[in-house]
Amino acid sequence: MLNYLIKRILMMALTLFLIITLTFFLMHAIPGGPFTSEKMLAPEIEAALNAKYGLDKPIWQQYLSYLQGIITFDLGPSFKYPGVRVNDLIREGLPVTAQTGFLAMLCVVALGIPLGIVAALHQNKWQDTTIMAIATMGVAIPSYVLATIALYLFALQWQLVPTFGLDSWQGYILPVLALSGFWLSFIARLSRSSLLEVLGQDYMVTARAKGLHPQTILFKHGMRNALIPIVTVLGPVVANLLTGSFVIEQIFALPGIGRHFVLSISNRDYTTIMGITIFYAAFLMLMILIVDLLYMVLDPRIKLGEKAQ
Amino acid sequence: MTDIHVTVPKEKWAPVDRGAQDAEFIAAPSLTYWQDVRQRMWRNKPAMASLAFIILLILAAIFGPMLTHHTYYDQDLKLSNIPPIFEVYKTEPTDASAQYMFLNSGNFKLYEVAENGEILGLVRAKRKDLMKKQHIYVFGDAEVRVDYSQLPATLVDGDGNAIESIGYRWNQTNWFGTDSLGRDVLVRQLYGARISLTVAFVAAMVNFFIGVFYGGIAGYFGGNVDNVMMRIVEIIATIPLTLYVILMMVVFQSGFLSIIIAIGSVFWVDMARIVRGQMLSLKNQDYVAAAKTMGASTKRILTRHLLPNTMGPILVTLTLLIPSAIFIESFMSFIGLGVSVPMASWGTLTAEAVETLRAYPHQLFFPAAAISLTMFAFNFLGDGLRDALDPRLRK
Repeated sequence: MLNYLIKRILMMALTLFLIITLTFFLMHAIPGGPFTSEKMLAPEIEAALNAKYGLDKPIWQQYLSYLQGIITFDLGPSFKYPGVRVNDLIREGLPVTAQTGFLAMLCVVALGIPLGIVAALHQNKWQDTTIMAIATMGVAIPSYVLATIALYLFALQWQLVPTFGLDSWQGYILPVLALSGFWLSFIARLSRSSLLEVLGQDYMVTARAKGLHPQTILFKHGMRNALIPIVTVLGPVVANLLTGSFVIEQIFALPGIGRHFVLSISNRDYTTIMGITIFYAAFLMLMILIVDLLYMVLDPRIKLGEKAQ
Repeated sequence: MTDIHVTVPKEKWAPVDRGAQDAEFIAAPSLTYWQDVRQRMWRNKPAMASLAFIILLILAAIFGPMLTHHTYYDQDLKLSNIPPIFEVYKTEPTDASAQYMFLNSGNFKLYEVAENGEILGLVRAKRKDLMKKQHIYVFGDAEVRVDYSQLPATLVDGDGNAIESIGYRWNQTNWFGTDSLGRDVLVRQLYGARISLTVAFVAAMVNFFIGVFYGGIAGYFGGNVDNVMMRIVEIIATIPLTLYVILMMVVFQSGFLSIIIAIGSVFWVDMARIVRGQMLSLKNQDYVAAAKTMGASTKRILTRHLLPNTMGPILVTLTLLIPSAIFIESFMSFIGLGVSVPMASWGTLTAEAVETLRAYPHQLFFPAAAISLTMFAFNFLGDGLRDALDPRLRK
């Protein structure tokens, strides 16, 4: 177990290194420097800027100093906001993104799975039909459409919630709803189909024949097996909640990382794009590691990190 | 021991009625697996309706734009923001024939229409009374005023009495209305459908041909093969798809081709992971061990035992990944990184509608409905396919 963990962390470091290298060279392959704009800068100014940010050095030297910065958790300066470092942007945006993201994740897990269980246990009854109708709608309507419609109805027409900002708790409702809508429905559908599949298995009949308590059957035999495919998608869910925040933060004008990222794209602020990408990647790898560890706990038949016969 | 003497009445010894044997007879013809799947597919009404919708959408996307003289880029600022349905008013000057018109309440412009709802053109105001907030139009000797002193704007005649509408008409010139630059929304929707369907097709192909095999091989062989293959997938997957597509769009210029390349190059990753996960748990199951014991080849175990058993998750994933590819494209277009203007995608159409949301909320309806319905259709089709393919549901 410990060996496996160490191996995984080493692999994570390697993966991160490859991602850093890839993004670095991709960003430097873009024609035009960061100071190319409609306004022509005087050559001296441009040279001075290049010297200040170390862009006059050969590319491998730039690469090495960038790597050096990352080892000390320094993602470099932003090219568009003088004096602002990418770290500052992330530190400033992270609480907002993390709060909405965490609430959305909570909604997905704490509502999605129970709704799926209820639907599966009442298969083809009204509970099932209602939950699945809503869940199908949730899967079909894209987050930005849901966000826009919700914004129009609840904030503009009926004025129940503020149109932007997170100053009051009401401000969280629409962003969290729009952010979690898809995955909440997805997890509900997945839990339902997964639990239904498990309920049809022979060992469930055996458990019932043994006279186990229905709750024991459902949670110890049913859910534990049904959770495996659900846990598989939880990693991607985190990823998608993060990227989903781009458009949600845009629509509701929330000052999170996603908004900084989208802004940095339209500003062509390459160090910020690079920095946020690397930050996301590191975060996601951590999540995937956690998901894989959960996997092993849930299904002892899966032998990760061990050689198959 | 006592003698057991049972008397059976004579009539009980009669031969069995031949008809009773028919109860044992298997009436239904024996069906192959795929025949059964097809039959169950047919019976699933939502799935068949979805299939019909998707086929109709494909046909409309291919042939629709050919059937109209509108193009997705033709602008006519005089005819901007026209709704698909409007209330028609009629004025009857004594010295000329009757005039039909409708008022665009968003921009207070008056349009002349035919009685059936065909748009004839914008009417120029004779005079604009800014103090009374009225625009005055003259048809022959009849006067019509647009009164916007109180919202919503109303049409009044020369004496200030409200003009009665003669009812709602469907816009015959632009069935779905026009956008803020006066372009036909229907044609732009159809071009959006072309883009979305192409993206869907590419994503499906990539998933099926790369994702399934990649994940299958990695999961089945395990060990070092799995390690190396999954490290590669992990590297690609740690950059979320959307993020990767964004990076690609930043590096290449944004445009349709870049989207296709970006989506095509990474979209099989999720599928590979799911197939691998399934393989990992399936290959340790007893029936695989049994097949191995009986000397089945790797190929046979893969194609006859493992793949059919992963088919359910594969199809479910596929039908969820197709809409998610459509979603990513529209998402990119929505945040302004997708297809370039004047090309229309459902994402750009939604983004354009959001800009005019306060004045013309109806413009959000068509792109939102188009993308949501398409997603619905793929989801229902996927559900139906999953149920039909599951041999355990066979009756």
